[in-house]
Amino acid sequence: MKTSFVIRAVARGYNKLRSTGPLASYISGHPEAVLIRHSSFNFGPYQAGHAGFGRLRVYGDEVFSGPGCGYNMHRHHNFIICAFVLQGELTHINTVGNIDQLTSGDYYVFSAGSGGKHCEVNLKNDDMHAIYMWFLPDQLLLPPSYRRNHFDALANRNQLVTLVGNADGALRLSQDATVSRLSSDTAVALDYVPRSASHGVYVFVLEGEVHCDDVDLARRDSCGIWGAERINLGTGPQETDLMIVETAP
Amino acid sequence: MSEDLKRFICLGCGFLYDEALGLPEHGIAPGTRWADVPENWTCPDCFSPKHLFQMVEIPYAAGEPHLPRVGPLAPPSELSLHVI
Repeated sequence: MKTSFVIRAVARGYNKLRSTGPLASYISGHPEAVLIRHSSFNFGPYQAGHAGFGRLRVYGDEVFSGPGCGYNMHRHHNFIICAFVLQGELTHINTVGNIDQLTSGDYYVFSAGSGGKHCEVNLKNDDMHAIYMWFLPDQLLLPPSYRRNHFDALANRNQLVTLVGNADGALRLSQDATVSRLSSDTAVALDYVPRSASHGVYVFVLEGEVHCDDVDLARRDSCGIWGAERINLGTGPQETDLMIVETAP
Repeated sequence: MSEDLKRFICLGCGFLYDEALGLPEHGIAPGTRWADVPENWTCPDCFSPKHLFQMVEIPYAAGEPHLPRVGPLAPPSELSLHVI
């Protein structure tokens, strides 16, 4: 049976984290930086919403503002952390051995596995916007790894592209999940067909407006759908950008 | 190890608590049930409270977990040096 939910942009978890005061060791930046995090699912102090979506546990829509804003070096295990940079420049440092700088369209998959630390920081004056996703892995304590790639919105306009998962040109994920993106500049209609009826599909609108089955979604609105054989998606005539996460239950 | 011993993952950082292994370095003996871990215990890595852990049924990767060596090291053996 098909079930679904809608999360409006304003209904998400909201955290405003400052680099001064009690969170100074967690949030980087000087003299004062502010990190805004909207969480689709329960994370940290926000525990009033959905626990997650299938293998996806965290979906953060984040903005790093101010000199040096970000997360200081901190430890993880197991989670596969993906970042998709929408605007600005993100500097990512990890204990796998990478110092990486990512700009609009760049994205990474950092699998913390048996243990790894990372630092996420905006070293520029302009704000950095990114989407962060955390997936549970299909095995515990995998060797830590880092891969990065680029989504070319112009070359792929009006086409759905798989960024993460088992597809040509995509970054592999140690999990039964995929992340796709559609950037359109005209009305596009498509039927999204999940791998199986047991897979769930989470649709998140980055920009523009999207018609998803019988629901209208505006900027930063999202919906999750379980049990669908196909999902009817339509973008508006204006510029639209959307992410789709498909996951096993 | 008993099959029904469970594993719990910290939703704040991914830290793993395996009932079979406990956390001897934190004074929690192997075999300690999650329910018997003190309620005021927090994640050693990110300090998330106990209620922000979730039970998982995910297998270990090959070669994991690395168990800490218990007791003295075995004496060097000429035989073991020749085992490929």
